[in-house]
Amino acid sequence: MTAPERAIKWSYMDHWRSNGPSGPVDQWHSRKTMSAFLKQVKAVGFDAIDTFDFRIWQMYGDYGGPAKYQEMVQDHGLERIVNTFHAADYDVRNYAPHVPETHEAVFEDFRVTMGRWSEIRLDNIIVMPATLFYDMEPITEDKLKYSAECWNKVGEITAGFGVKLTCHHEFFCGIQSEPDIETFYSYTDPRYVNLFVDTAQHCIAGLDPVALYDRHAHRVSGFHFKDTRHVATGDDHRHRPDSEIMAPTTGKWFYEMGTDQGLVDFEAMMRAVRDNGYRGWISVEHDKANKEGGDYSESTAISRWYAKNVLEEIYR
Amino acid sequence: MRDTLRWAYALNQWNVRLDVFVRHEDQQRALKTVSACGFDTIELASGTGRWDNISRPEVILTNHGSHAGFLDFLRRARVQGVSSMFWDPQAPAEEEEGYAFRSTADPDDADAIVEWSRPFVDFVAGVGAEQLVVRPVGSAWMTPPLDADGIKRVGDVWNRVGELTSAAGIGLAVHYDCLGAVHTEAELTGLLDATDPARVGFALDTAELTVGGIDPVAFYRAHADRVAHVHLKDTRHADTGEEYRMPGAESTMLKGGAGRRIERWFFELGTEGGLVDVPGFVAALREHDYPGWVVVESDHGGNPAELAMLNSWYLQHELGIAK
Repeated sequence: MTAPERAIKWSYMDHWRSNGPSGPVDQWHSRKTMSAFLKQVKAVGFDAIDTFDFRIWQMYGDYGGPAKYQEMVQDHGLERIVNTFHAADYDVRNYAPHVPETHEAVFEDFRVTMGRWSEIRLDNIIVMPATLFYDMEPITEDKLKYSAECWNKVGEITAGFGVKLTCHHEFFCGIQSEPDIETFYSYTDPRYVNLFVDTAQHCIAGLDPVALYDRHAHRVSGFHFKDTRHVATGDDHRHRPDSEIMAPTTGKWFYEMGTDQGLVDFEAMMRAVRDNGYRGWISVEHDKANKEGGDYSESTAISRWYAKNVLEEIYR
Repeated sequence: MRDTLRWAYALNQWNVRLDVFVRHEDQQRALKTVSACGFDTIELASGTGRWDNISRPEVILTNHGSHAGFLDFLRRARVQGVSSMFWDPQAPAEEEEGYAFRSTADPDDADAIVEWSRPFVDFVAGVGAEQLVVRPVGSAWMTPPLDADGIKRVGDVWNRVGELTSAAGIGLAVHYDCLGAVHTEAELTGLLDATDPARVGFALDTAELTVGGIDPVAFYRAHADRVAHVHLKDTRHADTGEEYRMPGAESTMLKGGAGRRIERWFFELGTEGGLVDVPGFVAALREHDYPGWVVVESDHGGNPAELAMLNSWYLQHELGIAK
């Protein structure tokens, strides 16, 4: 008898650090460290992985391209690569969604990028939809509109490759407050621009991620389920290169879901996922888990424990 | 693990010194990690003092109120129970005569050691575990050479403890380790011969036997009727130079302080260059319908969570065991 098909599958966003004979490394250090990473992710019950766009060079250099790298992922029992995160280095001089003069560079970037990924199936390409906050402020309706126009076109490009363009609102980017997010989506085309709900990032920015999700459920194409213990205060969102690292108030922003004193109400989030009829992938993330004594392996196991023993009791 | 064999995981690698594995939330993290890896049963290891609140029976009970309270604590992490507890009476304990050194090889110590076993027997029975797993004798470098009479004296101690465990409804399993004064295959067989099969079983540790120069698969096949407990782990090295005889072998051999200076002896299942035929050993267990617990260990190997996850992957994907 085959098991009933699950409504939800779990993917792991590939932040990772471990200690090897040559000191701290990430999983891309060698095929051996990659294998150990994939084994650990699979062992605790994740179904797939997400990755970063900038890893494509290592995929080509070390593995022979995304398809070959995905074969290695599959050899370890994981289904595939589900999403990639396009971590652009925004620059208001030549690459900024709120600066229309730079849009053609953005479009060309995505034409090239999507071609590189075209040998495998991706669900989403995830973007931070704005520059750093202080490179965009003051946040005006025009800037939000220009940004929306940029992503409408990018979404059309990615859709041509069968991949959804989806926006992930870091607390330190230019579109992170509730009114700005609402304005931004009011100018975007729901056919081409989706929302990717990162539970911790929205909490840090002072939003209720469950309410945000409920308002935009029809265009939510994925999630990062991770927790935080802090809400940004003062100028926390105005630090270069990014406030996740440099905000003076908080050394560690992110924790695995299920953490003590976590601000995200994951049970409410999972009920909302169920009640909105979402089917598909939920990505689990706990970037920088190793800070302040944390351990990626342990956080990964505990987050999967939480998904299995708490969240899947609500919806699976 | 959903299998005809019963799988458990040892917590020893998390508790590497007395004060690092004490907070209940840290213990919960380890338990959840083990649970996420597919193990719902754990093995405990003995310790001493007020910090060892997951190792010393009296301290566990002080922390959790009762055996049931401790089991409730485990079940919060979806760990359902305890398979076994490891005890080394040669390791001095604050609770027993203030860190007295005693040895099963010394007949004058026998009464004290039998008495010392009582808290462990009571605890193992109280939490519904199955085996008290013991280090039968101290390290070879600290123990005069054991002739047949010496091994018989050691066996007699465990026969007496075996009477206590039998009366409590649990098993007793003597564990082989690569530093022990019972070292060669002949000595180990002698110890098994010196103990009552009805009361004393053998705890077969695949890596420890391999380091000690004994083939675990062959030994299991020859003594399957005595094997009551299994520790499953791998090694990349055998002690080909009798390093176990070096003074301070716990450090000089096992921590690379002297000899060939090997700093790590024990490895996860599936390690490159592993000397243990893990598939062959597990197949032998299945052939003999082995009824006991198979406890996977990440003993002195590295990051405990990472090793538990790698061991879990190996069981699932190399041995085909469903989680």
